[in-house]
Amino acid sequence: MEEQLPSSVHAIVFKESEHLEGKCIKIEGYDFNEGVNYSQLLKSMVSTGFQASNLGDAIAVVNHMLDWRLADEDITEDCNEEERDPAYRESVKCKVFLGFTSNLVSSGVRDIIRYLVQHHMVDVVVTTAGGIEEDLIKCLAPTYKGDFYLPGAHLRSKGLNRIGNLLVPNDNYCKFEDWIIPIFDQMLKEQIEENVSWTPSKVIGRLGKEINNESSYLYWAYKNNIPVFCPGLTDGSLGDMLYFHSFRSPGLIVDIVQDIRAMNGEAVHASPRKTGIIVLGGGLPKHHICNANMMRNGADYAVFINTAQEFDGSDSGARPDEAVSWGKIRGSAKTVKVHCDATIAFPLLVAETFASKRNTSVKTKVNNF
Amino acid sequence: MSDEEHHFESKADAGASKTYPQQAGTIRKNGYIVIKNRPCKVVEVPTSKTGKHGHAKCHFVGIDIFNAKKLEDIVPSSHNCDVPHVNRTDYQLIDISEDGFVSLLTENGNTKDDLRLPTDENLLSQIKDGFAEGKDLVVTVMSAMGEEQICALKDIGPKN
Repeated sequence: MEEQLPSSVHAIVFKESEHLEGKCIKIEGYDFNEGVNYSQLLKSMVSTGFQASNLGDAIAVVNHMLDWRLADEDITEDCNEEERDPAYRESVKCKVFLGFTSNLVSSGVRDIIRYLVQHHMVDVVVTTAGGIEEDLIKCLAPTYKGDFYLPGAHLRSKGLNRIGNLLVPNDNYCKFEDWIIPIFDQMLKEQIEENVSWTPSKVIGRLGKEINNESSYLYWAYKNNIPVFCPGLTDGSLGDMLYFHSFRSPGLIVDIVQDIRAMNGEAVHASPRKTGIIVLGGGLPKHHICNANMMRNGADYAVFINTAQEFDGSDSGARPDEAVSWGKIRGSAKTVKVHCDATIAFPLLVAETFASKRNTSVKTKVNNF
Repeated sequence: MSDEEHHFESKADAGASKTYPQQAGTIRKNGYIVIKNRPCKVVEVPTSKTGKHGHAKCHFVGIDIFNAKKLEDIVPSSHNCDVPHVNRTDYQLIDISEDGFVSLLTENGNTKDDLRLPTDENLLSQIKDGFAEGKDLVVTVMSAMGEEQICALKDIGPKN
């Protein structure tokens, strides 16, 4: 003798749901019964949920960014002759702004960045002072794996500096000092004798030239003429070196005004190209790139990979939608924020985007012989 | 290392060296050091240990011994700095000329007339007044790096 549930209660508890089939992706993780197939494993992320899905979405956004050509857009009325030519339209790609914080350059992500810069896969780089010096120092002496919990006072007594769970010996910075001071002397000489007007990006270009080492991303940026902007160039060991150098040989001037012209110009004069933002971490690099894109009424693509949160109102933690309110990213833009440490997310993202596309195009070239 | 030194005028004694090198880390407060080619007395030497800024460094704050200007320099502590030879010699004051030069009696009985009166007001008035009163005065002349200046005064006459 079953009691029937009153139909009103039945309707509340068993509320009819909207049908999602066909509208939303089904959640399904990777099946290791298929074997350990890394490519498939990465492709399964988009349907795995939470940040794996965000990473999967970020991969999709970056691939859109890389696949876009002006030919995909309708010809607008104000196009000139050149811009109407189909071949030209096929050749116009998205302009990619890559930003990252210095801790990532201390980490192995530096080598992922080097790959992108080496193959001219990004157009503009923005970072902090540490993002410059850590790359150069690694060419002089290595950084080592340590542990987050090594006691500070003990490390100081051993002359070891801790960056998270990485260790950089003091000696590395001494080598950096010995390497860079003569270069500053030379730069000062050129400023005085040849009227060279130094800016942070020009200084960085020169350092990339001088390091002359294929493991350095700055070397490749110099070779490929990719500008590297760093308005906060003094906020690191580089700044310490400039400070000391100014006592012995005063007078070196580094102009940040010229560089803001150049940086904003990269965004303003990007058209008819679309622009895409990939930023790892928060802070100065994140804001500087977004702000420049505001000058062209917003970027068309944006991928943020960081662990910062928005509850404190910080720009570092702000989601792409906050940037949309400022006009830094377009309302129509494809955007994703991946809440993940970039040392995990970025290599995986590059594997499924830049690297796999290059692999394909290299294979195509080989097959076409 | 800088090669700014050794460009000063050394007309008089070309043979003797004006400075000698000393490791920066061993120069202490109240010692002497050459900064921007000027002989200075060290008033402060804070040091920063080896670190992110590179080698350990000494931050010298010095006062120019002749014109009392404050000068600063930062040097890696293992580098050599120039330390000036600072000499003090006593001479008896014979005369003060109208255009501000003094006439001094040297040890071997000759006169030394190439020195001006000091610019320091206190010392200047002491010399002028003392000389006008006919006192027997001995001046101490400090010399370093080819420059000389009266730095002190002694009254050696009989007490009245």
